[in-house]
Order: sequence, then structure tokens, then C-alpha cells
Amino acid sequence: MEVYDCRQKTDFINAALLWDTKTNQKLTSVAGKNVIRGGKASWDFYWQLFGRNSIDNKGMLIRQYVHFDKGMDNAYWDGRRMVYGDGDGTVFTSFTSDIDVIGHELTHGVTENEANLDYENQAGALNESFSDIFGIMIKQRFNNQDVKKSNWLIGEKVMIGPKYALRSLKAPGTAYINHPELGSDPQPATMDKYQNLPDTESGDFGGVHINSGIPNFAFYVAAFNMGGYAWEKAGRIWYAVLTDAGLAQDANFTAVKNLTIVHAEKIFGINSPEVKAVKQGWSEAKV
Amino acid sequence: MKIKLTRTGGFIPITKAAETDVNISNQELANLLVTLKHDTAAPRIKDGNYYELTVGSNSTLVDLEKVPDEYKDLFSKLKSELKIIKHGEF
Repeated sequence: MEVYDCRQKTDFINAALLWDTKTNQKLTSVAGKNVIRGGKASWDFYWQLFGRNSIDNKGMLIRQYVHFDKGMDNAYWDGRRMVYGDGDGTVFTSFTSDIDVIGHELTHGVTENEANLDYENQAGALNESFSDIFGIMIKQRFNNQDVKKSNWLIGEKVMIGPKYALRSLKAPGTAYINHPELGSDPQPATMDKYQNLPDTESGDFGGVHINSGIPNFAFYVAAFNMGGYAWEKAGRIWYAVLTDAGLAQDANFTAVKNLTIVHAEKIFGINSPEVKAVKQGWSEAKV
Repeated sequence: MKIKLTRTGGFIPITKAAETDVNISNQELANLLVTLKHDTAAPRIKDGNYYELTVGSNSTLVDLEKVPDEYKDLFSKLKSELKIIKHGEF
């Protein structure tokens, strides 16, 4: 893993190497420490649970860039690296503050190397959902939280204020309510509330960050009903789907629903409680 | 002439906008829009932000990494003045 400091600029070429695994330099940068911790937790999650060797399963070097741009209130995966802003200081603090956000971005890389789900409409919402699901499990595992102990919130430290988070898998649409700057979380939890948005930049490519609330909720219900640690049962099923060669690039929610049932049956048995929990999850999400 | 910079996208999709008056000729602005035009064929950045520049009734998706030196201060100022537009207000 390598961590670079962009020094609040927007070019990667002149970013300074802050830390790498080989030399393991001492760091004073909080953002740097955060992404090392989150990157290690994510790498460990994929390696120890699924034997996955990094983002591409071929040992790809994880590159993380912190302090990108002036006050950028965002984090992203650009196909080669994870990039984090410091936040605007009013609504958001550093996007390195939560392990789930780091796990989310790294999982975009995993998805890109597996089904490479289209980043639009339902396939795009699934792409986002896989990142949220694995992001939350990476955080839960790091904090040793089972499905009952976890609050299922993503980015609760990134967003300033004790009542706010970026997303909720347990109750999509409630991560922030009546926020003075943002208004309210627009995510639906169920298919009857699916938002048909334009497949444009300003339409969030058909609402990929909006409609992801639906498969997120299906996962939450399934994992909660299985009990224990989410990564032990539900996580195995969703990882099997994510890495299934039969998962089409333009998959929709129904296709992923069917695949989760198929893999739950393969792993746990046709009439198992896990299969029932998966079906219940998608049923409550009205898919 | 007013120009407006709008930012969309991100980890949670937020729209931000800022506008300013500029003393730039229509021809210069037209050239600038051509220079800054975003390559829509480029792979989509996961959770990425996108910028749109509006001049009059004409809006173009732009790549701020392409801003020529003489306009860097203008776009730096616009970026620093971006304000969040609440859901449902745009």
C-alpha cells in the first residue's frame, strides 16, 4: 500500500509519498493514519475471509491519496486509486474519518475487477450497494460488531453533527433528516419508491447513490435475520454473487436477488434459514 | 456576462453552484467552453464529482483540469464559492 499527500492540489503527479508498506514511515497526518488503518482493515477483510489478494485478486498495489483539493467534500475511486478530500469543515470533515468510506471506495475497485457493473440505473445502484455493503461489513469486523450491535450507518464521523451520517442500510432515507444545508436523505428502502432519474451526471446516472438504498435494505434485513456477524453468512453470499461470472455488467435488482438465492442455497442448503432470510430481505425491499 | 459553475455527483449526490460576473467576450467564452469540454467517453469515476459551466442558456460539462492559466484564478474563486443546493431546490 502507498499513501500520498496531494497537499490540497488536484494533480497526482506532484503528490508526495507519505507512507508505504515497505518503509512503514512514522506519520503525523491524521488522514494518512486513517487511510492506512482503513486500507489494512479492507485488505484483511478480503484476504482473511475470502482469500482475495487485493483489489484485483492479483496483488494490486493499493494507492490512496489524501488532502486532495481544497476542502473537497468527497471521496472517490478513479479506476487506479482511492482519493479523499478534507471536507468543507462545515457539513463534512475529512472523508478518511470512517473505515466504511475507505472500504466502500476499495470495493469499487473489486467490483470493477469482477462484474464491472455499469455505473448507471439499476446496475449502477447495485455497484454502489456492493460498496456500501462491504464497506459496512469491513467497519463492523474492525469494531467486532454483530448485526445487533452495529448501527448500520455509513460515514457517521464524516458528516458533522451527532444526528447525521451519509447513509443508513438499516433505514435508508433517514441518515440525515432536515439537515440545515442538505435537507433530507433521499434514499428509498423499497422498490415502489424507486426514483427514475435521468442517466446524466446531474441525475446521478439514474440515481445510483439514491436507489442503492433498496438493495442495501435487502442486505440489512437478510443479514439481521441470519444473526451473528454479517460477514459470516450474508457476506459470504453477497461476495459469491459479486464474483460470480454469471453476474452481468448490466444486472438489475431482480438478477441479483435471484443470484443471492442461488448462492445461499449452494452454501447453506435449499431449505436453510439463510435462504429464507435472503428471500425475506428482498421481499421487504419489495423486489 | 454571468457565468455559473455547478458541481454534481459525489459519495452522496449533492448539487453545488456559484455564479459570477465576468468581463470576457462572447467569442472568448465560446472558445473556453470548447477548451474545457469534458470527455464524455471517459470511464465514469465512481463517486466522482462533475462540473457544468453555464453561459447564458448554454450549459456544458467541463473538465476543470483543462482550465488555461489565465482563467485559473476565476475558476478557483468559483470553486471556493460553491454553495450547496438542497434536494428538491434545483
